[in-house]
Amino acid sequence: MTRDDAQWVADIVRDAGGTVIGRTRLQKIAYLLEVAGFGGGFKFRYKHYGPYSEELASATSKADLLGLIREKEEPASWGGHFSTFTTQEGRTGEDPRFELLRAATHANAIQLELAATALFLARDGVEDPWQETARRKPEKAGVGLTGAKRLYDRLRQIGLPNAFPKID
Amino acid sequence: MPLQRIRDPLHNLIEFDVANKELEMVLWEALQTRPFQRLRRVKQLGFSELVYPGASHSRFAHSIGVFHTARRLMKIIQRDVHPPADSKVHQALAAALLHDLGHGPFSHAFEPVGKELDLPMADHEHVSDLLIRDGEIAEVLKKLGTGFAADVADIITGRGENNIYRAVVSSQFDADRLDYMRRDRLMTGTQHSVIDFEWLMANIEVGTVSMGVDDERVADVETFVLGSKALYAAEGYVLGLFQLYPTVYLHKATRGAEKLFGELIKRLVRLVQDGSAASTGLDKNHPLVQFAEAPDQVEQLLALDDAVVWGALTPIAQSHDKPLADLAHRLRDRQLYKCVDVRAHIDREAEFPMPPDEVDMRCEKIKDSLAEWIIPAGDGLPRVLVDEAERSPYRRVTESKKGPLDQINIMSDGGRLIDLSKRSKVVGELETFKALRFYYAPEDSESKKAIEDAIAEGVQA
Repeated sequence: MTRDDAQWVADIVRDAGGTVIGRTRLQKIAYLLEVAGFGGGFKFRYKHYGPYSEELASATSKADLLGLIREKEEPASWGGHFSTFTTQEGRTGEDPRFELLRAATHANAIQLELAATALFLARDGVEDPWQETARRKPEKAGVGLTGAKRLYDRLRQIGLPNAFPKID
Repeated sequence: MPLQRIRDPLHNLIEFDVANKELEMVLWEALQTRPFQRLRRVKQLGFSELVYPGASHSRFAHSIGVFHTARRLMKIIQRDVHPPADSKVHQALAAALLHDLGHGPFSHAFEPVGKELDLPMADHEHVSDLLIRDGEIAEVLKKLGTGFAADVADIITGRGENNIYRAVVSSQFDADRLDYMRRDRLMTGTQHSVIDFEWLMANIEVGTVSMGVDDERVADVETFVLGSKALYAAEGYVLGLFQLYPTVYLHKATRGAEKLFGELIKRLVRLVQDGSAASTGLDKNHPLVQFAEAPDQVEQLLALDDAVVWGALTPIAQSHDKPLADLAHRLRDRQLYKCVDVRAHIDREAEFPMPPDEVDMRCEKIKDSLAEWIIPAGDGLPRVLVDEAERSPYRRVTESKKGPLDQINIMSDGGRLIDLSKRSKVVGELETFKALRFYYAPEDSESKKAIEDAIAEGVQA
């Protein structure tokens, strides 16, 4: 894992306004950027929370170690813990990368996970990605699938270098 | 037909009721297939045998032990969940038996090579998935329904629904770990890391825990919980794994052999793919050559096992490619590289104990300063091999990739569930085991000096 990878993670957090809430969210943001053509070259595989990159997780730890970002863990209302990643300064802008970052940073975490999962499955050649997402994540789909579809449509409206596929 | 019986060094008698239970009849049949029989020739601990001569047990024995343990855990679900989902019980038990089908020779030592060279068949989850969905195993599993094989494959690859049935096969308190920790302890002969297995089993029940994504709550799910009387047994279970990492799984000599094996496979694959198969010392029909030529075909992986590799070392040791021959000779005769444990050096040489982050930072610097020794020069091998590993004996729910079903929850006296890392001070304080080691050929005094200089500089920085 190189310093460049760690810096790439730090740039995500900085360009998301300086704060990203949740490890799952950070993974999904990085995945969306990767597919959109703004990626850091990380490889993503399917894990329990949807697309996940071991390399990105290591780069995040390294970014924290090098002081490029700060990770703070807090107890979540549901009994687990969640992390908040911050940089000293935040940035924002109007180009498609910033627009994608903004939408993903402020989305509901469950909807973001479901939308990123459907995108991953669509790119993996699954015939009905939304149905498959619901099959794999029944509890989350029960509360977030409709919102995830709306979020996905919103992300598709952004003029990305690599447009996300249409998923019916 | 009578019961089919297996004598096992850990569990003693393991029975398959092939006359009265359709699932066990089908799984007994799956056990007779070529992919499953191949696991007799894949050792559970790979090169650990070079350190612990008794550790020659196979993934075959382990897989049957996992099934046996999963069957006991399922009885708890069948007792406490009303009504239990029989189809999910069956799928998870089949997954328990078949979860290791896709392992290549020397198991985990083979995977990083695959990642580096982008060899799809070196990914054991992917291979297990293919073997279960198609071919001999799928044909056998079809007897339990058309979608059964796909459901089993989904459990193993993590694509399926996450529920308590799957937690039997994949969690921090699963049948896999409950078997391998005990089996590996028994077979290596090490006397630490004992776990109070029967007491743990006697104190498991089913409870309800909340799940969420980051800071958002999703729903409540059923999960295994341990009664408060099993707190110390649960502590012992985690501490046992903490001790097994440095002493067995990540032992410096075992890892050193794995590094040599990795370099050997990489060089062999590259030679074959560059059209120089003749210089490997192997016949063009040898399974290793065939694998290198078609690394995307599952049939080629099925032809590989530990025995095939051990048998190949003598002809490879006589090959025209000197670096390859040297690697084969070293592995065959256990002439391993020398190991330098960087973290131990930092601990020993630093004037004051350093905080963990500071040690991590210095490790990064030392690694960076040795970069030119780590990257292979020209057509040769890297002069310094690097082993970098970290393992956590207990992941808190933030770090887990699987959510709350992955956790060990302890029932408090008031009925509240508390994560083991919060209930046990010892577990809560456990740090991730980290290793950074450099390996060099004993006769390579230049590399030795470069390593010593880099560490001395890193320690003083």
